[in-house]
Amino acid sequence: MIGTCRPTRRAALAGLAAALAAPSIVRAQEGAIRFGTLTPLTGTGGTYGPAMRDAVIGAVRAVNANGGLLGRQIQIVSEDTQTSPEAAVRAARKLIDVDGVAAIMGTWASSVTTAVAPLCWESKTMLFTVSGADSITQLPHQGFIARTQPNSQLQIEVASRFMVDQGGTSFAWIGPQTPFAQSSIDILTAVAAEAGIEVESLIYEAEKSTYRSEVDTILRSDPDFIQLGGYAADSTVLLRDLWQAGYEGMIIGPAYAVNDSVVEALPAEVLEGVFTWEGAPAIDSEAYANVQQILGVETVDPYSAQTYDHANLAMLAIGKAGASSGQAIHDHLREISQGSGQATGSAVSGLGVLPGDVNYDGASGPCDFDEIGDITGTQFLFKRFENGAPVEFERV
Amino acid sequence: MLDILPQLLVNGIITGTLLAIPAIGFTAIFAVLRFPNFAVASHATIGAFAGYAANVWLGLPAELSLVAAFLVAGLVGVVSDEIALRPLRPYGALTTAIASIALTIVLENVVRLIFGNGLRGYDLPLVRDWRVWDIRIGPQQIENFALALILMAVVFAALRFSRIGKAMRAVADNPALAELKGIDPVRIGRLTAFFGMGLVGAGGMLLGLGTSIDPLTGFRFILPIFAAAVVGGLGSIPGAALGAMVVGLGEEVALLVLSPAYKSAVGFMAIVLVLTFRPRGLLGERAY
Repeated sequence: MIGTCRPTRRAALAGLAAALAAPSIVRAQEGAIRFGTLTPLTGTGGTYGPAMRDAVIGAVRAVNANGGLLGRQIQIVSEDTQTSPEAAVRAARKLIDVDGVAAIMGTWASSVTTAVAPLCWESKTMLFTVSGADSITQLPHQGFIARTQPNSQLQIEVASRFMVDQGGTSFAWIGPQTPFAQSSIDILTAVAAEAGIEVESLIYEAEKSTYRSEVDTILRSDPDFIQLGGYAADSTVLLRDLWQAGYEGMIIGPAYAVNDSVVEALPAEVLEGVFTWEGAPAIDSEAYANVQQILGVETVDPYSAQTYDHANLAMLAIGKAGASSGQAIHDHLREISQGSGQATGSAVSGLGVLPGDVNYDGASGPCDFDEIGDITGTQFLFKRFENGAPVEFERV
Repeated sequence: MLDILPQLLVNGIITGTLLAIPAIGFTAIFAVLRFPNFAVASHATIGAFAGYAANVWLGLPAELSLVAAFLVAGLVGVVSDEIALRPLRPYGALTTAIASIALTIVLENVVRLIFGNGLRGYDLPLVRDWRVWDIRIGPQQIENFALALILMAVVFAALRFSRIGKAMRAVADNPALAELKGIDPVRIGRLTAFFGMGLVGAGGMLLGLGTSIDPLTGFRFILPIFAAAVVGGLGSIPGAALGAMVVGLGEEVALLVLSPAYKSAVGFMAIVLVLTFRPRGLLGERAY
């Protein structure tokens, strides 16, 4: 009896053939509109990627439940960038060539976005990104990139002015080799020069387990305000090394670098007094509440707020165009993201207004784009660590 | 600029000593099993996380957690070697080396599945560094340094005096002759996988103790570990210790002339230089 329960080779082959031949599954997907999420599920950005993907899925699910888009369902294909340009390019090729997605959403690291972008504009696939490097929107992308993250020039400028306002007298910048490292140093130097402040800088190699010697080198200039330019893994090491070296001055780091995982890995006294800054999500908006509900969290990280916006922007643009291609999103994006149309916080409510005019106001901000695809009108939020937790310091 | 040199030397010596532990594990496996086992990356990570689990979840002190790191990484080393690598060894070193890269990716993702992507720190009291003649050094660094030295002393004593150690050296020296003498190469292979990967795991934890760990922890050390083993002479255990010192000191002292952004290049340069002038490494390839 026992023997008859085991699958024979013939049964396995028959099963395989049946699976390959199953036309009903294929047919159900054929008419679907496809979007790709290309978020960092692993690697340095791995703490954000899963929630970023889930925010997209939540936005799409709401529209699907409401009858879909142009009478069709929307299907999400999720790929992992591994926070690595090489892996991201392979994944993007698959999304574009095999899955035929109309838009790719959620590329996080600037190096990844830079690597993936040419594939997108050559295939007329819309790319929505949360990367900050200035160079990204300066690529010849013909309008196929839209970024919801304030570019790094604006971010560094805002943080550098903050450093001057807080009364620092000798600045240092320390961060890994990234596409925005040198431009960050240049901007900080320029802002500091206006106030007559000197800046010392050091670019180190990411992915090291200790930066003791780097810290020794940068502290020789005796700074009293240090700006961090890295990601979470290296910032954790750096903050600890700075504390152990006895540094008593002020520190500011981007909120994506001094994030929850850093708080978990470091004792409260190391973080005490450290400043962070970030593009502030629109916490009072309808869209923000939707993301809170989708993710089941109280505080939505800025990237999930942005990818939620990516999905809604893409769906509204397709609804406006009446066509589901990347070109259609490209042509109609600004018609639904800005202007004097009816303000809406989700694709579900916005699609009800179409073909009338809508203006999508997202979870990450107003989502208005300039001609090269950069976001305008973002607020910034500064926080300061007190007893191991970031506390709102000021909004600008 | 030169006033910082003593500090860089101290940093380099400590880095080098910590690096020596996994490098010894790597080179021991090469000496006996004759292939470069790149799965050291994931085993260093596994050791670091096993130590973390013992230290944070079970509340054990760092020294006992280090034992846990050794045992878990060693065990995973034997089992994964038995399943994934041993069946491929008859097909040559290159085949097995490539399989070990695949194995390391699988194991790294198993760690990710259990512990997630986040950063984790050991439950150790954090104290400010001491300053002695303007050189700063942390109490934790000194403890790690001492633990690494003890571990190395145990390894050298075991290889020199224990039966198993002698058998390992015999197989490394001449496998055919060792087998004629009644030493079972399969058993010695297993023991080497256990002790080698155990050392790699303990090294992974020691390297992670001063910082924080995540699933990529081991991967970050694969180049310096490999460089240390090659520089010292692949298969030579004292060579691995010496090579680790060269790479560790080299990476730090190079900061005097090189931007820190190119730190990893020092490992590559050390490999190129040594292989150009002494193709068998500084100490040749005799196991001991």
